[in-house]
Amino acid sequence: MNALAPPKDQLAILVIDDELIVRESLGAWLADDGYRVETAESGAAALRLASSTRYDVAFIDIQMPKMDGLELQKRLLAANPSMTTIVMTAYASVDTAVRALKEGAYDYIVKPFDPDELLHLVERARERCALQSENERLRQTLDAHAEPEELVGDSPAMKKLLEIVRTVGPTDTTVLVHGESGTGKELVARAIHASSPRRYAPLVCVHCGALAEGVLESELFGHEKGAFTGAAYHHKGKFEQADGGTIFLDEIGDISPKVQVELLRVLEEKRVTRVGGKTPIAVDFRVVAATHQDLSELVAQGRFREDLFYRLDVVRVEIPPLRERPGDVPVLARHFLHRLQTSMNKKDMHFSDAALEALAAHDWPGNVRELQNAVERAAVLGHPPELDVDDLPLDVRRAEAAPGAAARSLADVERRHIERVLAETEWNVTRAAAVLDVDRGTLYNKIAKYGLERPEHAR
Amino acid sequence: MRDEPPAAGVLAIDLLPMTGVDDATAGALLVRLSRRLALPCRLLPRWEPSDLQPVAGRDQLDADRLLQRLEQDQGDDATLRLGVTAHDLGSPLFTFFFGLARHGGRAALVSLARLRPEFYGLPADDDRTLHRAVLEALHELGHVLGLPHCRDARCVMRFSTSVEAIDVRGQRFCDECASRLPEGVLSGASRGTG
Ligand SMILES: [Zn+2]
Ligand SMILES: [Zn+2]
Repeated sequence: MNALAPPKDQLAILVIDDELIVRESLGAWLADDGYRVETAESGAAALRLASSTRYDVAFIDIQMPKMDGLELQKRLLAANPSMTTIVMTAYASVDTAVRALKEGAYDYIVKPFDPDELLHLVERARERCALQSENERLRQTLDAHAEPEELVGDSPAMKKLLEIVRTVGPTDTTVLVHGESGTGKELVARAIHASSPRRYAPLVCVHCGALAEGVLESELFGHEKGAFTGAAYHHKGKFEQADGGTIFLDEIGDISPKVQVELLRVLEEKRVTRVGGKTPIAVDFRVVAATHQDLSELVAQGRFREDLFYRLDVVRVEIPPLRERPGDVPVLARHFLHRLQTSMNKKDMHFSDAALEALAAHDWPGNVRELQNAVERAAVLGHPPELDVDDLPLDVRRAEAAPGAAARSLADVERRHIERVLAETEWNVTRAAAVLDVDRGTLYNKIAKYGLERPEHAR
Repeated sequence: MRDEPPAAGVLAIDLLPMTGVDDATAGALLVRLSRRLALPCRLLPRWEPSDLQPVAGRDQLDADRLLQRLEQDQGDDATLRLGVTAHDLGSPLFTFFFGLARHGGRAALVSLARLRPEFYGLPADDDRTLHRAVLEALHELGHVLGLPHCRDARCVMRFSTSVEAIDVRGQRFCDECASRLPEGVLSGASRGTG
């Protein structure tokens, strides 16, 4: 046995077969051997399960009606490349099994199973999972150290935010992060986790807004075997998974009144009772919650429990939207570009002054995430090394001339607008004056005032 | 962590000899099992269901179905049934079983076929066969009472997929496994590996 291999009850296995006897028999065999097992009767059912639970190993029947095993394997691996997939095949379809290996299967096993062969296969799969999760842990540790870097900015608001993260991070205090979508609330949670003594234990993220009430309950608190239809085996909730570490509850404003009550109890008692279970389990966790909503407003409306609000709102971190700190835009843009350049193996990529100005002028309703996308788009579709205004998304380019897009002087706006019209008319002053609805004398005066020069290629 | 073991309402273990298990073997098995358990063990009349299902294309009984029959047809909730057959056990999905039990169920099966040295071309040794059968029965009863496999090599709940592994593994329940069983099931002879 590999000393690295995780305890069996921490390994989640999904068995997918359209035959009931295979699901029951293999499911029971694996459960008897101590693994966490769930079963699905079709590819569609498997994908549904896999969208809310992370499985380490999947046993996939090759021949199933509708979606076959190869297609299912492709989709499962696309969603979770570190999953260990094992295909099950009848003797007659070993050729297909070999194809499955080429497409990323860890191994295959022929029905009927020799118990000894299955035992060794599962042991090897477990060791592989240990390696996978070790790799992932290393990656996450690196990320955890790299990512606070992304809370980049010179603005007073960002400096204040980083100061709070540094102060509160090493404590066990509950933190409520408030910010518009795309401002990087999860990054703040990661930064807090990474600066705490809990950093070597997991940070478990739950996006509460995305899940239906019942799913969220079992996701957060886990469930016992038979707790509801389809709960064939017990399941550890996110709180249990976060034992010793941090749980990040994103979009906390979206949870239902029922889950609010249960959550409050867990936060107060630091004990979790699985859905359908009786015995509470003691869990050691720290909470970082986040929302884009005004929770005190939700409390006033009676949509969020006041007692839960005060339990979460111990230390508040406000992430200002990007439009309120335009000075951070060039800093962030350069930061993203620098990182991309490394991963794209390119050199000297940079934005033209005009592009930086356009970026700073945009109001970024999608915040940092939108900026990051814009930078990626420019780097991929643009013409390096210099990325210009034309390489930016259309709405960012437009921001240049859009009224009220950003706080700037009237003269500044006028200068840019004249520059733009002159460029469009290829410095035909007569036509430009007509477009601007001023006489040519006025336009010449403005050109002189702003020191505008006709670029080389327009001559 | 697993489901809670079934309530300790079990009052007795009923041994049901099946095809090919003669009275002497059944009696010897009962005596040896009684020493290992604190519960009373009773020998029931021979159980010979008329419509036993073979596994298609193999000279084996379908253990899944047999276990189901044993749970449905025999006994009551106060007893755990242990069916012992000399016939080889298998299923459409598995090539063979030494024994089978459903976690949290009411019955367990043990087959003597692959526990006999003769199966491997060795001279017969009935004492060894009985010894293995008792260990296999304890292991399967452990499953019925909610225990998964154990990592402790000295524990009878350690998983064995070969007869050599049955011989090598421990003959008792380790402290942790024993503590997870209901009170009053094991005798001192089955507890503790230290
Ligand atoms: Zn077993
Ligand atoms: Zn044990």
